[in-house]
Amino acid sequence: MHQNPPSPATPGGASRFGLPGLSRGRFLALLGAGALTGAGAVRVFGGGSSWRYNTVENPVPAFVPASYRLVIDGLVERPFTLTYDELRAIPAVRQVSDFHCVEGWGVDDVQWDGVRLQTIIERARPSRDAKFVTFHSMQGVYRDSLSLHQSGLPDVLIAYDMDGQPLEQDHGAPLRLVMPRMFGYKGAKWLTRIEFSDVQERGFWEERGWGVDAWITA
Amino acid sequence: MTDDRARPPHRGLVRRFKVPTRLVHWSLSVFFILLLLTGLTNFVPELKTIHIGGARLFAWAHVALGFAMVAVAAVALLALNRSRSLRDDMDALTRNGPDDTRWLRHQLARLIRRGGSEPPVAKFNAGQKLNALLSAAATAGLLGTGVILGINYITKRVFSTVFVADVFPLHTWLALAFIPVLLGHLYLALINPSTREALRGMTSGSVRRDWARRHHPGWTPGED
Repeated sequence: MHQNPPSPATPGGASRFGLPGLSRGRFLALLGAGALTGAGAVRVFGGGSSWRYNTVENPVPAFVPASYRLVIDGLVERPFTLTYDELRAIPAVRQVSDFHCVEGWGVDDVQWDGVRLQTIIERARPSRDAKFVTFHSMQGVYRDSLSLHQSGLPDVLIAYDMDGQPLEQDHGAPLRLVMPRMFGYKGAKWLTRIEFSDVQERGFWEERGWGVDAWITA
Repeated sequence: MTDDRARPPHRGLVRRFKVPTRLVHWSLSVFFILLLLTGLTNFVPELKTIHIGGARLFAWAHVALGFAMVAVAAVALLALNRSRSLRDDMDALTRNGPDDTRWLRHQLARLIRRGGSEPPVAKFNAGQKLNALLSAAATAGLLGTGVILGINYITKRVFSTVFVADVFPLHTWLALAFIPVLLGHLYLALINPSTREALRGMTSGSVRRDWARRHHPGWTPGED
């Protein structure tokens, strides 16, 4: 600590920060090997890509295919409602993008299947006054919003498949918003209503301190 | 090791740790436990979303406790230069020799078959030294990665999101990997009959003389 670097072996045969009988070089090599093993373990165990999940709706909303509806309404010329089957019948897109949570963790290369939000916007025909889009979760507790412009960006999807499988319940089944350029709290899960409005509705977490625009800085 | 109860009762106490060492141990460990508990809420969605007045309770507590622990750790390092007894303990903990290897080998052998004599142990045995080394390494690693995560949790911009996403699992795995070490430490200090006397050395500062003689025959109390 405060002393001079220790000699490899003190008179009693004792060394510091090393194992007896090991030269300092070997000790450092062991240390390096340990660090590499640790880094390797992180990769093997999917350290760089592991989902946590968040929900403020407890218990997590349940998806019942027969009764599920996606409602598109608000300041639009043509409000409409989709069943789950109708939703899946709309021309789909597949997209691979990274996911980042505001907590700090992220998941690389998530494959999403779903519908471009722009497709929904075009079909609903927002009125002149519509400037914002609010996304509502099933139980009415969680919601979040984007500007109409942000909503129309090409990599903004409403996704029903994640990595080739239908969304799991914890991950927002049957439908979630995917906005890869912003932190995950912008992507409402258990999506059931898309509402167009003239003022921006503050989302659940935005009423509790997070920014309305959650752009990710590369 | 022979049964403690077979020895005649000997209530004499000897000084094992002076105040600075105990203060450093407990101030760091209290923060460590609180950080571990608040950190683990990251795996419990029902708990992690609890929020008070616009802030997520456990997330912000974790970040605040983490920065506080950095300050405590810095003070502890400075105290090394101020306290002779703390420095001596640190020296004894980080010094090792052939007897430590022999001790570890002896403990491994004991797992398989009984018997064999224990190599001489001074103030700290090799297990205690190993625990200290692993704890110090884990603490340094967790504080280092934690500062990066904490700064970005507050600012969202000092480090890149991609970099933070790479640091996050390191922090998580370091913490999870340390849990067995911590549980072992707690077991030996609180439950295991032949070792739990050591806890008294870290609370009141003294241990039974006969216990010290048996478990640390090479240590002369008072000379530390």
